[in-house]
Amino acid sequence: MWGREAPTHDISCILLTPDVHSVVTGSRDGQICVWDFDPPNLKLTPRCLLVGHTAAVTCLAQGGKAHGTSFIVSSSENGEMCVWDLRDGQCVEMRRSANLHTSMKAYQMLNVSDVRLFCCGNYPEILVYDPQSLDILFSLAARIQPDWISALHILRPPRRNDEVVLGVTTGGWVKVWTVSEREVRPREPIFEHESKMVHSLNALGLVCCTYNQRTVLMVSQEDWQIYDAGDFSQLCRVCGKAGERWMGGDFLSADRVIVWTDMGRAYIYKLPTNCIVESRAFHNKQMEGDNPILYGVVRPQSEEQLVNAPAWQFMTIPLESGAEKLLLRGDCEGQVMLWRLADVSDNQLRQINQVHPFQPLLFPPTLTHSMVKAWGAMVPPPIGILDQLEGERGPPRITASLFLPLQGRLACGREDGSIILVPATEAIMLHLLHGKHHHYHNWAQPMVLRGHQGRVNCLLYPHGESPHYDMAHLVSGGIDFSINVWDMYTGNLVHRFVVQAGQVLQLLVPPPTCTTRIQYCICSVSEDHSVALLSLKERKLVLLASKHLYPVASVKWRPDHDFLLVATQDGSVYVWQMETGHLDRVLQGVTAEEVLGACDEHVAGHGGGASAGADSETGLANPAVHLFRGLRHRNLAAIRHAAQRGIQQVLGEQNNHQDIHDSSKMRTCPLMIQGLRTNKQDANSHVLFFDIEALIVQLLSDEYTLMSPGTLEANELIMSSQYQRMNDLTHPASPEAAKKIAGEAERGLGMG
Amino acid sequence: MCDTDRGELNVLQQELDWVLGEEVPRVFTQVMQVLKECCVHFPVPLCGSDTPIKQEKFIMSTAAHSTQDQVKCVVTITGDAITQADINMKAAKHQNQLHRTSVTPDSPWRIQQIQDAGNFLQLAIQFLQGHGCNNTFKTSSEILNVLGQLIKLLQKGRSSLLIPRKKTIDELLCSRNMKSLTPPLPGDIAVSFYLQAHKLVLAVYHLSSVGGTMKFESVQAECSIPWLSPVLVCFTTALHLTHQLRDKISVFSQFKDFTPDSCSVSTISC
Repeated sequence: MWGREAPTHDISCILLTPDVHSVVTGSRDGQICVWDFDPPNLKLTPRCLLVGHTAAVTCLAQGGKAHGTSFIVSSSENGEMCVWDLRDGQCVEMRRSANLHTSMKAYQMLNVSDVRLFCCGNYPEILVYDPQSLDILFSLAARIQPDWISALHILRPPRRNDEVVLGVTTGGWVKVWTVSEREVRPREPIFEHESKMVHSLNALGLVCCTYNQRTVLMVSQEDWQIYDAGDFSQLCRVCGKAGERWMGGDFLSADRVIVWTDMGRAYIYKLPTNCIVESRAFHNKQMEGDNPILYGVVRPQSEEQLVNAPAWQFMTIPLESGAEKLLLRGDCEGQVMLWRLADVSDNQLRQINQVHPFQPLLFPPTLTHSMVKAWGAMVPPPIGILDQLEGERGPPRITASLFLPLQGRLACGREDGSIILVPATEAIMLHLLHGKHHHYHNWAQPMVLRGHQGRVNCLLYPHGESPHYDMAHLVSGGIDFSINVWDMYTGNLVHRFVVQAGQVLQLLVPPPTCTTRIQYCICSVSEDHSVALLSLKERKLVLLASKHLYPVASVKWRPDHDFLLVATQDGSVYVWQMETGHLDRVLQGVTAEEVLGACDEHVAGHGGGASAGADSETGLANPAVHLFRGLRHRNLAAIRHAAQRGIQQVLGEQNNHQDIHDSSKMRTCPLMIQGLRTNKQDANSHVLFFDIEALIVQLLSDEYTLMSPGTLEANELIMSSQYQRMNDLTHPASPEAAKKIAGEAERGLGMG
Repeated sequence: MCDTDRGELNVLQQELDWVLGEEVPRVFTQVMQVLKECCVHFPVPLCGSDTPIKQEKFIMSTAAHSTQDQVKCVVTITGDAITQADINMKAAKHQNQLHRTSVTPDSPWRIQQIQDAGNFLQLAIQFLQGHGCNNTFKTSSEILNVLGQLIKLLQKGRSSLLIPRKKTIDELLCSRNMKSLTPPLPGDIAVSFYLQAHKLVLAVYHLSSVGGTMKFESVQAECSIPWLSPVLVCFTTALHLTHQLRDKISVFSQFKDFTPDSCSVSTISC
């Protein structure tokens, strides 16, 4: 249930697939949006949002295309690489590497069945990946002045059967590798066979002209330059305007280039004669007055200032009637623009030149679409979970939501400070099912809790995490620095804590193995970088950990040692004694990492505490973390258990009666509601998970509780004698096999 | 809306204008100075400067808590690479056997951490030149974006010196650097040079297989590298300054959605 507002989609990279059927955009919040593109009608439709990266997506590339499938590969700022199936949005493969990529290029090598990914980034090599398995196939290294490769280009010279890889390092060394499939040996890097120093610091783009393979365009933040590919001598150089920084470019034809900037414009230039291969003046030094001529400006009709740099892609699509040149731009507002760039003949160019004062041609976008537009065009508009309450226009946004399975209710904190409790199934029924119930007037009135001034940031139901806490208590934290404890049944405000000097960002529950006093506490993380432990039983502040210089990155626990560990964004770890409130020590660098890692191991070793450990990871900014926590915490555990139990039953490994008993404990609610948002500023959307098996179990058990064991036996619903016989017949070959199959099943689900 | 609220909002708006107009440029200049200072301490030329590549010689010895010197090493560092090193070590298992090897100038051992940190620093400076110094900001979200990106770069630069990248024994054994040691070491010994905060560490891993499982013992020798301390101080200071500025601005961003005219009473009286 998306809600009436479109999610924020701050585009950081854009990719038009080579079949021109989908546009893929990666965002700075880590989501990837797949848009269906219908070229004849020039229609774009956002189709699905791929959630999975926990940091900004830095680059996208076309993936493998075996068996008519369509894959893309994405890479994020924290080194995650994912392969996505575009048809159904599944994540097929995921890797985490220490090498952060800034650019990935899919390239079809000669005599190789599938494309290869050529990646460069914050490491002194070019790594070549298999786009399916994400294994590194080989690498290109440098002998002279090895450095990060900031841009690369791959081409195949005519009449050659090997590829030439051009790369430029951050320091400005151009390097040339020749790669052919025959020479590739794993673990043996291929070294460059030429390198030369040029004047370009941190180049952003490097493109060799496809028309003559002789000139090279190199773009850096301050300037763009044309080089002769033969000896890498500079032919011309153009600096940027103040306040505008170049981002990349490409060749429109042998003598025209298009270069784009971070302000959302692209400029088209005609190159001077010394950059044109056919001319006699080629390769001469740039002459005074013989500059590239700016003749076209590509920009949207109305320009608003962009908060973040847009993403660009230029693509030439060969057609029978001549090549179609497309330029795509994705910006921070979730807006995608497409230009079909018509060729400008020399004649037209001459005409433009004769007009005084000189006016460059304007290219308005052929197609503009955005998330917001797509939302607006929907009839009826996408529904939100609380829409039934909101007859009036412009209802306050939902900023936090929490599903309470025990009560079957959904708590929603809103922007105006109110918290609304609604019966979950009723709320959903109203939106998703059509029927008589729409005419009922006796729906239960939602409970409204008022007490916050301004946005409610987070909600917590401590009893859901551990039975120590009072069943009635619901805790909320708001932008107004306060933490409110509510009685959910009466609707009264039980207590109000105001102990921290910043908005409350997150509320957590300590693991159940803590000391008795801490067991009744909740933990709150505030924007003033402090972490507080508040006892709900004593209604008192137990610990205020407020010495942190940087924002809190994560909170971890060492219950055995009575330690609370706070990791801050600069990588240091503060160790606090919970009972006494003393700062035990501050750790930095490697030790800090090791201590944090040890916490995880410790929790995992305990087995039972695993969920608590996973839960205390903060991931404040990231929606994917929230979503997966919800999945991992509740549903996946149930699904996994179900799979395992099914297999065990087939093998008859365990005593059936006991197992059924276990599973009834394990069973969670057949319905789960998880809040989802792509950005901190957004309103919550909601994801509904239906556990069909749990639903069946619940329906049946409701029915059977009315019957006696005798009736059950008579109706052939219990067949314990037959089970026993089966058990003897199919005694498990090995218990490991059962586990393995269950594990496989889980893995399959995990990817989904 | 009552007058006091309106008054308060006006004051807030003025404060925000002041932060954007005065404080931001001041802090950016300060950060720039710190980063330039940081460049000076680097042993390699950065940002197109022509500071000569420094060459220094150090003696590395086993950390103080161990009783005897199991590893000794004399290193010469030129820029971001170890150009000469003489390593003497006693293998933990067979005490009286002495292994000796060296790094020679024709196949130097590059310390990638130095280049990484330098490159991030360079990126940060270029980013600041492009976005910060002569730019005027009108909204807080704009500046928060710029600060966010700057912080990422500084953070990465700093942690590349503080936290060495973890490598597997296999990776170490197969590394180009290991292979270029003369004379080569026996197959069950791996060595690795890395930076950790202000120290250069030489770790020697001695592999042994006990009952089919591989185990390794490690011995370390270290020495402190003088230029690392000021570089780290500069990184930390710059990071701190940017974070402070971000905190100051994020106070206003609590009011971001509200211009003085549209701000509801509830949001400002908190």
